[in-house]
Amino acid sequence: MNNKQFLTELSGKCQMSAESAAEQIQTLIGVMENVWKNGDSVSLSGFGVLEVKKKNERVSVNPTTGVRMLVPPKLVLTYKPSSLLKDKLK
Amino acid sequence: MDNKINLSQLAERMAQEAGMSKAAAEQFVKNFFDIISQNVLSEGIVKVKGFGTFKLIQMEDRESVNVNTGERFTIEGHQKIAFIPDADLKERVNKPFAAFETVPITEEQAAVIGQMEESEKEEFKPKTTDKMETKKEEPKKELKEKKADSKVEKEEKTGCTGLKITVWILSIIAVLALIIFLLWPLIGGKILGRVDKKVEEKAAVTAPAPAPKPAPAASTATAKPAEAKFALTKEDEAKALPLFTIADTVNYKITGTMTTHTMVKGDMLTTIALKYYGTKKLWPYIAKYNNIKSRSFKRLPVGYKVKVPKLANKR
Repeated sequence: MNNKQFLTELSGKCQMSAESAAEQIQTLIGVMENVWKNGDSVSLSGFGVLEVKKKNERVSVNPTTGVRMLVPPKLVLTYKPSSLLKDKLK
Repeated sequence: MDNKINLSQLAERMAQEAGMSKAAAEQFVKNFFDIISQNVLSEGIVKVKGFGTFKLIQMEDRESVNVNTGERFTIEGHQKIAFIPDADLKERVNKPFAAFETVPITEEQAAVIGQMEESEKEEFKPKTTDKMETKKEEPKKELKEKKADSKVEKEEKTGCTGLKITVWILSIIAVLALIIFLLWPLIGGKILGRVDKKVEEKAAVTAPAPAPKPAPAASTATAKPAEAKFALTKEDEAKALPLFTIADTVNYKITGTMTTHTMVKGDMLTTIALKYYGTKKLWPYIAKYNNIKSRSFKRLPVGYKVKVPKLANKR
C-alpha cells in the first residue's frame, strides 16, 4: 500500500479531501515530533508504541579495510507493535 | 519525560494545532493508525509520506539455548512488523546529535576506549532506565575524552583530577598575571623607582672601585671625573625618564577649565588626555572633573561635552 492508496482510504473514512488529509497527517506528525522532543512516547492501544530511543556510540570496523570508526550516538525513532497486533499476525 | 501519550492526549494536542474539534481529531488519529495496522497485516507494507514505512518481515528459523537448562531449541520462523522512519523524519528526530560525525580512530585510542567501556559498564549499569537528560550529557563527555590526548586518558580518573588541578593552577596564574598587568601603572612606577635607586647605589659602589685598582697610587683625580660623569648621567636619566609615571599623575591639582571637548566617534578619555596633556595617563583628572562614574568610561556618547581641566603641578 503506497502513500496514495493510504491517503484515499483515510480521506474516505474521515470524509475529507485527500489534500486536507495529507495536511492533517503532517500536523499529526508534527505533534508527535513534539511529544518525542519532550522525551515522551506515543502509545496507542491496538497499534503499539512509537518512541525515540538513544543509541550509544560504538566502534565499528570496516570489514574490507579494517579501519576502526567511532560511530557517534544517535536518537532513533522506534516502533514496538502491541501484543494485540502481534497476535493478529499469527 | 517518559510519559506515555495516549490516543486522547494526542488528539487533544492535534486539535489545538490544526484548529479542529477534539472528536474529529480523535477520529482522524484513530483512523490513521487503524488503516496502517490493518493494511500492514493484509498487504504486508504501508508507506506514509513524511512518516515512514511499516512492513512485514519474515524471520527465519533460528536456534537458541534455554538459559536455565542449557537445552537447545529452535525458534520457529515468524513474521515481524518493522517500521522504517522516513529519512527526513529520522534527521529531525536525531537533531540534538546531528553535529556528531563518524570518525576513524587510531590503535591507541581504541585500546583506551576498550578500557573506558569496561569501567563505564560498571558505573552506568544501574542507570539503564535513565533516558535523554543524563545520557545526552554522557556521550558528549565521552567523545571529548576520547578525542583528548591519549596520555591523559591512560591515567584515567586520577589523570582527570590531575588535569583539573593543573587547569586550576594555570587559571590562577593567568588571573594573577592579569591583576599585575592592570595594576602595573600603580606599582610599576614605585618598583622602577626603587630599582633605579639600587642601580645607582651599585654604580656608586662600583664606580670608585675600578679607579684604585689600575692606579692605586694615582690621586683621586681620576676617580673624580668618573664620579662627575656618573652624576651627570644620573641627571640625564632623571630627565630622560618618562615625564609621567603614576607618581606624577597625583601631583597635579585642578585649577580651572582649560577648554571643553565634544566627543566624536572613537574618542575616549585617554585620547582626550593625550591630545591636551600629551599623555594618556592624566585621564583620571578629566573623569574626576566631569564626575564621570567608572562604569560609563567606555560608553560616553558621541556629542558628549567633556570639560578639560587646567592642571597645575603641586610641587
